[in-house]
Amino acid sequence: MHMVVAYDIPEDKRRTKIHKILKSYGQWMQFSLFECNLTETQYTKLRNRLSKLIKPEQDSVRFYFLCACCHNKVERIGGEGVRDETIFFA
Amino acid sequence: MGTVYITQDDAFIGKTDERLQVKAQKKTLLDVPMLKVEGVVVLGRATISPAALTELLERKIPLSFLTGTGRYLGRLEPPLTKNIFVRSAQWQAAGDSDKAIHVVRSFIRGKLKNYRSMFLRAQRENAALNLQAAITRLEQAIAPINATDTIDSLRGLEGAGSAAYFGGFDALIRADGFRFESRRRRPPTDPVNALLSFGYALLLHDIQSAVNIVGFDPYLGYLHTQRYGRPSLALDLMEEFRPLVVDAVVLATLNRRSLTLSDFTTEALSQAVSLSDEGRRTFLRLYEQKKQSKFKHPVLGTQCTYQEAFEIQARLLAKYLMGETQQYPPLVLK
Repeated sequence: MHMVVAYDIPEDKRRTKIHKILKSYGQWMQFSLFECNLTETQYTKLRNRLSKLIKPEQDSVRFYFLCACCHNKVERIGGEGVRDETIFFA
Repeated sequence: MGTVYITQDDAFIGKTDERLQVKAQKKTLLDVPMLKVEGVVVLGRATISPAALTELLERKIPLSFLTGTGRYLGRLEPPLTKNIFVRSAQWQAAGDSDKAIHVVRSFIRGKLKNYRSMFLRAQRENAALNLQAAITRLEQAIAPINATDTIDSLRGLEGAGSAAYFGGFDALIRADGFRFESRRRRPPTDPVNALLSFGYALLLHDIQSAVNIVGFDPYLGYLHTQRYGRPSLALDLMEEFRPLVVDAVVLATLNRRSLTLSDFTTEALSQAVSLSDEGRRTFLRLYEQKKQSKFKHPVLGTQCTYQEAFEIQARLLAKYLMGETQQYPPLVLK
């Protein structure tokens, strides 16, 4: 499943933690916005980890799901490109 | 899902959160989620942190070590699967059993038929080529396969077929300056042989993973005899994929001029030819693209990538050895 994850967290320390977790699941596209392509299980894991960390009265994390058909319709002007995940070099 | 290739010498492989990080000289070269990694290949030297090691094992991500030139050194890998039935079927078929003879026939038929269709295609595309002699010799090696009953004579047919193939291989290279006279290994002494060897080492890494996932013992093969530390079954299963994946990539790389002679260096004493760093990256990228390319699987009738086909063929082999199917169909593409 493709999804866009957006978050709004006032406290710096907690925001950094959330950011670090999300980096393990998807790609950082903009400030407080990630794009992830996950399976059902991976999504559940991510949700669990995040929900344990945030304070629901102050923070918010949103998951917007993109269907396979909409995913190809994302337009981009400038900014981060999509990471090529077929091969990694170092 | 992708493979991580680490070509930087003295790189450090570490782990933060659920990500794999590769650093060198205090700079981060790569930072990718473990979820997206399905294999790690180290070319040259690298250190790996204990935490990363554990994480790779737990996630069942194989880690292979190759020398800078692509010679296979070894690998670290999660334990064999618990599926003992596959392994016991594999052992029961060892030696000169009917099943072993059947699969050896299939491996060789797959390989030689793919060789033949490569030549036929080249012949179709370029009428000026004269490959007819090689094709005839290949056909002479293919025809008696089904009537041959001993593994040793089957090996002889394979040798004859391969000799015919490599005898005509030079004609398929259209790039200036590259020549192929005969297959030379340990070490490869010309660019084409260097590319072939490098490609086969990469393919071995992939096939070995597939063989392991399915639950085989990779060291017990049928076509390749037992030798200490040799992953014979992976080598067996590799046969049909050699022309489809590696040879095709090598030819495409050369004929599209993705690599030139300046991408190769020759070692003075041993005449060993190896790829430059930049050339190696180019070749790795092309190899990976090939692996991810789709085709229609002739037996299953569905779309799949070569990467998936490695595992599909290993599963078909398991099914045959366990007696669930009547035969093992090698992957033959037109």
